[in-house]
Amino acid sequence: MTLKGGATSACAACKYQRRKCIPECLLAPYFPADQTKVFQNAHKLFGVSNIVKILRSLDPSQHAEAMRSIKYQANVRDRFPVYGCLGVIRQLYYQIQMLEEEMHTVLTQLEMYRQHHHHQQQQQQHQHQHQISSMADDVISQLELGMAPSNNALPLFNQVTHQPYTMQNTYSSSDIDSPPKENVENNSLWIQHLFLDTNNHGTSNNDSPIAIQSQLLVPNSEPLADTQHQVVQDYDEIHPFFDSIDDRQSYIDTKDAEDSS
Amino acid sequence: MSSSSYSSSPCAACKFLRRKCMPDCIFAPYFPPEEPQKFANVHKIFGASNVSKLLNEVPPFQREDAVNSLAYEAEARLKDPVYGCVGAISVLQRQVITLQRELDATNANLFRYAYNEMPPLRPPQPPPPSAAGQSSGFCYPYQWNDPSDEDNERSSGGNM
Repeated sequence: MTLKGGATSACAACKYQRRKCIPECLLAPYFPADQTKVFQNAHKLFGVSNIVKILRSLDPSQHAEAMRSIKYQANVRDRFPVYGCLGVIRQLYYQIQMLEEEMHTVLTQLEMYRQHHHHQQQQQQHQHQHQISSMADDVISQLELGMAPSNNALPLFNQVTHQPYTMQNTYSSSDIDSPPKENVENNSLWIQHLFLDTNNHGTSNNDSPIAIQSQLLVPNSEPLADTQHQVVQDYDEIHPFFDSIDDRQSYIDTKDAEDSS
Repeated sequence: MSSSSYSSSPCAACKFLRRKCMPDCIFAPYFPPEEPQKFANVHKIFGASNVSKLLNEVPPFQREDAVNSLAYEAEARLKDPVYGCVGAISVLQRQVITLQRELDATNANLFRYAYNEMPPLRPPQPPPPSAAGQSSGFCYPYQWNDPSDEDNERSSGGNM
């Protein structure tokens, strides 16, 4: 019912009930005059008196949210007269169940691939270790026989020095998000070789590989970032080994130390 | 009041409304006297006359489902007067969105692994709940565009 001056039109609720829409009308903010269908749905399901009863039981700050849910519920009931919002809920539960099943399947496949990748890496590592140890045996046997170290000793150093370079690149480029356990195992094997070499050549930093090894073997459950940081620190600690041998290695270690800090 | 041929007890609705339960009472099959609270809740939120009208618009074989859904919604509204059963819808919808994102990321990971032989990436962390863009942070799965004309009502399949 409009005022004589035509200043404000009645809300949809008052229009439907053919009554004067007073300024204090509780439903006016939520049922504008142009939303007749929405009001009809709400009125059909709840009824005006029940809606007003709900609003009066709430704090005014909650009215907007309550009306939003009431309108939504009524509209869904209009769309689905038999099941209403319960139908929507069941549909969502079904969706969740399907998604969880699919997730389980995908995770199972991913785990299979991960294990396969892990085994491949271990095999490669074993092969590399075997190769190095066989060369080390050759040098040792030559020394025992009183022979001068052949030129092959230098390749051994080169191989050992190259190993951390390779390991580092492998670690940084492709193992960023691989499980920390894999990297810990790889690095511990590498450190064992380093320990052999330091013993053989009487360097003064015999303690550092042991410290590094024990340090690396501990954090199996730490986040990947921490493990990576530790590896970089380990590079820094064994840095003196390679200063005189490989300038490239020292450059890389220095660069990583700066990045990690 | 009751004759020998009519000895069944009144349904919960008629008991609540204190009226004679007629043989063709529309509430009787769905509101047994053993469940008084069911009708009490439905009547409190929706009203008996509204429920009666709704049931009359629904085929008889679907009336039991309609009553059960109304009873569920009424109970939910009594427990949560602000959101009612819509609160559950919002929570479930968020869950669906989160699960879908995780599944997409995991599938992408699997694809990387299977075809590129690269180690899988970690799945992204689910986004923190945010109310940005919505006054309450609620997620309404079905959007209702209030039609100002009749045409929209017919074609209001829309997002629903």
